[in-house]
Amino acid sequence: MKTWEFIVRRLLLLIPVILGVTIITFTVSHVIPADPARAFAGGPKAQPEVIERITKELHLDEPIWIQYFYYLNDIIHFNFGKSYLESRPVSDSLAQYFPATLELTIFAMVIAIPLGIVGGIISAIRRNKLSDHITRIIAIIGYSLPIFWLALMLQYVFAYQIPILPLEGRLAIAMNAPSTITGLYVMDSILTGNLTTLGSSLYHLILPSFTLGFATLALILRMTRSSMLEVMGMDYIRTGRAKGLSERTIIYKHALRNALIPTITVTGLAFGGLLGGAVLTETIFNWPGMGRFAAEAVLGFDFNAVMGFTILVAIIYVVANLIVDVLYAVIDPRVRLGGG
Amino acid sequence: MRSFEMKNKKAGVLAIFMCVMLITIGLSGCTQEQPQNGEKPEIKNPTTIVRYDIGDAKTLDPADAYDTGSSEPIFQIYDTLVTYKGNDTKTFYPCLATEWSVSNDSLTWNFKLRQNVKFSNGNAFTAEDVEYSFDRVLIMDAPESGVSWILAQCMDTNSTTVINDYEVEIKLTEPYGGFLALLPYTVAAIVDKDYVEDHGGVVAGEENEWMKLNPMGTGPYMLDHWTRATEIVLNRNPNYWGGWEGKHPEKVVIKYADEPATRILALKNGDADFTYIPYANLEDIQGEEHIVVHPFDSYDINMVVINTKASNNQYLADGEVRKALSYAFDYETAIDTAWNGYASRYAGAIPNGMPYFDTQNNGVPFYNYDLAMAEQILDAAGYTKSYEFDDVFYRFNGTTIRIFYNAGNSEREMMAMMFRSALDEIGILSSIIAEGWPQLLHRMYTTDDWDLMFIGWGPDYNDPDDYIFPFIASADVNGDTYNTGYKNETVDEKLLEGKYSADPVVRAAAYKTAYDIYIQEPPFIFIQQRQYIRPWRDWVQNYSYNPVREWYFYDYYKAYE
Repeated sequence: MKTWEFIVRRLLLLIPVILGVTIITFTVSHVIPADPARAFAGGPKAQPEVIERITKELHLDEPIWIQYFYYLNDIIHFNFGKSYLESRPVSDSLAQYFPATLELTIFAMVIAIPLGIVGGIISAIRRNKLSDHITRIIAIIGYSLPIFWLALMLQYVFAYQIPILPLEGRLAIAMNAPSTITGLYVMDSILTGNLTTLGSSLYHLILPSFTLGFATLALILRMTRSSMLEVMGMDYIRTGRAKGLSERTIIYKHALRNALIPTITVTGLAFGGLLGGAVLTETIFNWPGMGRFAAEAVLGFDFNAVMGFTILVAIIYVVANLIVDVLYAVIDPRVRLGGG
Repeated sequence: MRSFEMKNKKAGVLAIFMCVMLITIGLSGCTQEQPQNGEKPEIKNPTTIVRYDIGDAKTLDPADAYDTGSSEPIFQIYDTLVTYKGNDTKTFYPCLATEWSVSNDSLTWNFKLRQNVKFSNGNAFTAEDVEYSFDRVLIMDAPESGVSWILAQCMDTNSTTVINDYEVEIKLTEPYGGFLALLPYTVAAIVDKDYVEDHGGVVAGEENEWMKLNPMGTGPYMLDHWTRATEIVLNRNPNYWGGWEGKHPEKVVIKYADEPATRILALKNGDADFTYIPYANLEDIQGEEHIVVHPFDSYDINMVVINTKASNNQYLADGEVRKALSYAFDYETAIDTAWNGYASRYAGAIPNGMPYFDTQNNGVPFYNYDLAMAEQILDAAGYTKSYEFDDVFYRFNGTTIRIFYNAGNSEREMMAMMFRSALDEIGILSSIIAEGWPQLLHRMYTTDDWDLMFIGWGPDYNDPDDYIFPFIASADVNGDTYNTGYKNETVDEKLLEGKYSADPVVRAAAYKTAYDIYIQEPPFIFIQQRQYIRPWRDWVQNYSYNPVREWYFYDYYKAYE
């Protein structure tokens, strides 16, 4: 199968995936007897006309399967409905929060990927030496530490005790966001030539992206180490050494490429997972992203927001998996040629 | 070689240990520089007040705002005809109106307006803006929030008339006793007619998207930007009629942060001048230098709603049973445990401090925790412990009273558990059920399948009608907001009398009579009135709390005095 056929086929699979996701989420969120219309209208202070209007808007007076078809119809027209907690379209909320999470995730990966891969390589080639022990301790700490604890400790140490980094947020207090082009403050600052917000946004990214990236760094480090160890033990590596190739050539030209394949898998899935929103990191660092939005939507029974978020995350996961699979083909010719 | 490798390994471990120790010692030494004794920390952002809280605004349009997140910035941007000052809730102060009078029948109000007032866009304020603002609320009819009911209960679009550029007359549809009290609320804020007309005007039943995000008022501040779920920043309005002489902050920032630990650190390091800290976390900052923790009495109340028409429990229809339940609640322990002591008792539907609260047993709570009295009342009413279950005798034929509260509310959970224990002691079976808020509302308003429910209420405006009518008046006269099914015709009559009279003597007598009746067959257990605590930095001066208009930043400033 050609690559483009492969990509198109995978994208078409998005449709049944989203359908399945919406059916499950819609059913679970609507099956419990509840009165979200009255909740959104103000609870006991709600006025009957407002309750009636919201009930009609959400079709809450219709059977659940009719409500679902109304919803599907709206989705097809890219209308995710209104978030009653935020009193604005869900698409507006997602358009604001998704870039915030994307920016945080990208910088978390900027920390995790190079450090994880380099750490994994060092750990593998200096197996059982001091550097291997150090990197393994870092990895264990990385995936053992509860992320909320790490976030709180980093905040406490670097934003309060030794106040060299900001406590929370994406920008300094009262600073205007750069004009929205992508929604990523770093990118938008560069594109608009706003050095002040560029500096502030980078400064504010340090603690939350390190917090978020640390666990992923540990994962990548361990995965790279074990892959490298496996590959370094193969016959073709021994052959390369026998032929007199330098250790650098063997590691970076021959071994790493094969060892990276499983690492790419976990990295891609981790990236997709983080894009779904890191609730704890975003809450503690007051980062207005998807995770925080989703948590509030669930707790507030904001059905439209929950559904919109779920659909977006489903798309993210499918696309992330697709990118991983395409990268396989790029890195491993056996996959491209259909033999792997 | 092996011994050499072993020595290498031990040296490596020792090296790691030494590095960690050095880093730890280094970090612990490099702490935030604390001021020496007597020295005060430098004031951060001296011309900006920063307040950290939870709950973003939903709209900045006063005609459709009905939540505290929205009201707070609106109070800074817009003015009303009359207002409160500082912590005084007894006096109405001139704002955009300089004087006012009312006819003998309490139906016609006349307001003389302040001259030389400008909106922040430079447009002049006149009587036309007042007429337009009130009519706008009524025509738009608050499609998002329903807040227009506050004006609609006594006004219609024919009520407001322009007499001249600086005089309006308002003819009420009913002689509503709380009319003046509702004017300071955000729904009665004055907007610029020309500005609104240039940006979408008024469409019946529809919100104005422009006004939602682009407020324009005569108040001391104007909007700089609103970043959703992050912050609202207000800059001073250079056209403000109150002027900028004296000490006033140039900028106000209302920041949103869900995590209490983050808000606490922000207060401690001075990023925040005020912050909201849950009662359970107040001990984290009690005694901290340079932070003030001072409770104020609010109008926020908590109570137990009793369903007198519960499908599962006929006994709650009996006023004597409800009296006994009121004696069975341990109020003081609830305040100490669930609220860490930051609450106080109140006597009835009107909270302490609100006008006419002293018509309720002189403001003294009628019921106190007395299990013996509860048992005596139940026995006298014929509800003896006659049902045996597991060698224990219970009342009500073993019927279980179900106590509901909204999941996640830890204070109500604690109170529910305490109440259940007490009921068990007097021979009443009970169970506790936590449900999500929309589920509870569904249960309360569409079924009779509930017995008791923990609930709360906060003020819209400073008049007892905002409390006692929704709670105690029956559904027949459009009361009974909590669907208790309680009805007493004399009480209804008295509450209507209090509602539609501006005569304080008449109102006081009506509320007293109503109280003396309903407190003997209470449809509520009146638990506690919360204290309002927003710890602040000691460099903030002139802060005072008003339970109706909670924040007025123009009055505060930052300095050491």
